[in-house]
Amino acid sequence: MTTLTQVFAVLTLMAALSIMTECTLAGPQAEGQELHGHNETPADLGKGKQLFEDNCAVCHGVDATGGDGPDIRKVPDTLGDDAVQNIIRRGVPGTSMPSFFDIDDAGARDIVAYLHRLNSEGPAETIKGDPSKGKEVYETSGCAACHMIAGEGGSIGPELTRIGAMRGAKNLHERLVDPAANLPKEGNVGDRGKWTLYLMFRAVTKDGQTIEGIRVGEDSFTIVLKDASGTFHALWKPGLRSLEKEPEKSLMPNFKGTLSDSQLDDLVSYLAGLKGAQ
Amino acid sequence: MRFANLAVLLVTIALCTPVRSVAQGVSYEELVRASQEPQNWLMYGGDYRSWRFSRLKQINRQDVSELRPAWIYQRSAPGEMIEDSPVVVNGIMYVVEPPSTVTALDARTGVPIWSWSPKLPKRVVAIGLHQTSRGVAVLGDTIYVGTIDAHLVALDARTGAVRWDVTLGDNKEGYAITSAPMAINGKIIVGPGGGEAGARGFIDAYDAQTGKRLWRLYTIPLPGEPGSETWGNAQILGGLAWNKGSYDPNLNTLYWGTGNPAPDYNGDARTGDNLYTCSLLAIDADTGTVKWHFQYSPHDTHDWDGVQVPILFDATVNGKPRKLLSVANRNGFYYVLDRATGEFIAGSPFIKQTWAQGLDAKGRPIIVPNTDPGFEPVLVYPSNNGGVDWVSPAYSPETKFFYVSAREMGAYFAKAKLPDKPLQVGTPLILGGAGNQYLSGDDSYGAIRALDATTGKMKWEFRLDAPAWVAPLATAGGLVFSGDDEGNFFALDAETGKALWHFRTGGSFLASDTRSSPVTYEVNGKQYVEIAAGDAFIVFDLR
Repeated sequence: MTTLTQVFAVLTLMAALSIMTECTLAGPQAEGQELHGHNETPADLGKGKQLFEDNCAVCHGVDATGGDGPDIRKVPDTLGDDAVQNIIRRGVPGTSMPSFFDIDDAGARDIVAYLHRLNSEGPAETIKGDPSKGKEVYETSGCAACHMIAGEGGSIGPELTRIGAMRGAKNLHERLVDPAANLPKEGNVGDRGKWTLYLMFRAVTKDGQTIEGIRVGEDSFTIVLKDASGTFHALWKPGLRSLEKEPEKSLMPNFKGTLSDSQLDDLVSYLAGLKGAQ
Repeated sequence: MRFANLAVLLVTIALCTPVRSVAQGVSYEELVRASQEPQNWLMYGGDYRSWRFSRLKQINRQDVSELRPAWIYQRSAPGEMIEDSPVVVNGIMYVVEPPSTVTALDARTGVPIWSWSPKLPKRVVAIGLHQTSRGVAVLGDTIYVGTIDAHLVALDARTGAVRWDVTLGDNKEGYAITSAPMAINGKIIVGPGGGEAGARGFIDAYDAQTGKRLWRLYTIPLPGEPGSETWGNAQILGGLAWNKGSYDPNLNTLYWGTGNPAPDYNGDARTGDNLYTCSLLAIDADTGTVKWHFQYSPHDTHDWDGVQVPILFDATVNGKPRKLLSVANRNGFYYVLDRATGEFIAGSPFIKQTWAQGLDAKGRPIIVPNTDPGFEPVLVYPSNNGGVDWVSPAYSPETKFFYVSAREMGAYFAKAKLPDKPLQVGTPLILGGAGNQYLSGDDSYGAIRALDATTGKMKWEFRLDAPAWVAPLATAGGLVFSGDDEGNFFALDAETGKALWHFRTGGSFLASDTRSSPVTYEVNGKQYVEIAAGDAFIVFDLR
């Protein structure tokens, strides 16, 4: 999709919202579009960058040029800062853009300020670490057993071909030392809202068999888990002896003890450079 | 020879007596006795008491695991989600495809017979509502439907030809009909939606033969009229009665719920209880005057429309037989009232709610401070869609349980500043917004809950992955049918809540939810169960 088409799509969505939504939208505010000055202090931009990378980058790209979600660099200029802050906090019903009510007003302003910066100057990130050393760390740490890059590797965990376009360095680092923290969420899946991906579950069947794995699908009757060997188990929920979420656990090992700080930096800089086919 | 003459006489009489057919139509007396004709499903809600209960028992606890799809009708054009609950008369099923297309299908085979669509304006104003319809009404040989541009249309049941077409209100002001109308004796009762556009709510009665309006009951007063003192100095807007109600023919009383006041979420200007929004009205069916009212949510700021369908049932309370009415309200409370007098009998939450300490002796909520929407969002349970939105409950006279599809979900509620100029009817008056979800989706859920109808005490629940939008249907086969948000259609044991059967219809919850309400009927001695999911109307039977 070209930038113009993306912006048009967002505008169309905003117009559609004004005559359709059941629940969200500040009507009058969406219409008054003021361009705020871009005189945010460096501290705001830093916070904005952090919030952006934690919440927005996974869909809109670390540099806001888009991914699963559209390119949003020009959106604050086109719709106005207020409108974009509203979208951040209330989401866009009927789409995958969830509401981020846990981001307060100040945080939403910081994100918008950072978006202006990305639009005018592009990302200004210097990542420490040596990516070629990082590639060696990747190859010697068993990562390819579970992860795939450009067609090579396993398929237990997420594919990493474009991970550098979706996740900032700080986020990547956190993944390595605390894999179960801040699991990514899928946005606006019907009334489920933000649905946690890669959530570990432990099921015990009627005849005492234990199955542990990440959830890949679920409805009121069935849960589908993928275990550490990549095997799918579709389990009939009413027939289980127990089914427990394990939010602290992950199929991915914790590399805090195994890799040194400089090895982690190198690995992160390698992953941050994985932006897929350009 | 006398015997032969008698025989000839009898045969002649038999041949001259018309055979029951669609042409004959459905009489009012039949509608009153609808529950005694379980081969048909004669109105939204099954009968005037809105029990959504069928006496059919061919499909039951023992054989429901054999239920299989019999036929599917795919809707003829794309559109918003199907919310229809069909009417079935003598083997003909009348469905409504969004937004307002009525289609008659052979109920045994699914073969379409006729279809009628209104000519809609290029731009339909549909603020705060979906362009869909919850169903038709039937009386005589006429099908009655409300359209998304606020017309009430009478169609010939055999051909779909228009008998008459009247406009209830100007769609440019936000009026739209999504409700199924109700047919009583010679009258069609219906109320439009449009509260989020600030339209003024009303319930209308029309002559079933001619379409002439017989009465109109406005749900909110004009300035100076009784009740206007409960609005401060604000514009009096909203109170739309956009869902179908229930009817007691013996008391000749309609029971209809009203929607929220406008603007949504910001009640700063409209100080006071905002009568008669978020209320149950007991209405004299002949005159359209209010006999009594009960307000569920005074001065609502959470968009908790009080339009939920009431169940009418008789039961003993404290040793005395009472005529009762019960409602699982959007605000999270289950209410039991005396339907003759309006007396509040009992009320308790049926979901997690954090906005009221409880109800006082008259049933008025005791508000917890700081639960109104703020300029900074405030976390409240339930969300704006409430413990249940417009989706009907069901009642089984066998278990004496009230079945509800409950929504366990909180939301952050925020309000926006009131504009300096007057609010304009016909524009979105949704000031602020309630994100429907704060917590990870894994922390909200739905459940089919069975409540003791007289006390509201929960007897069992069957958990659903996400809060759902499908009404329960109870049957004498000992079953409760319902659906979940992921497109499952399922049957539970009505006594215990145990899951006995389910079928994944695949109705995508992103584009076309499963939001319709199932019905059951019989043709040629075979029982069928129907649900609409995604773009399809699906009918099941036993092989």
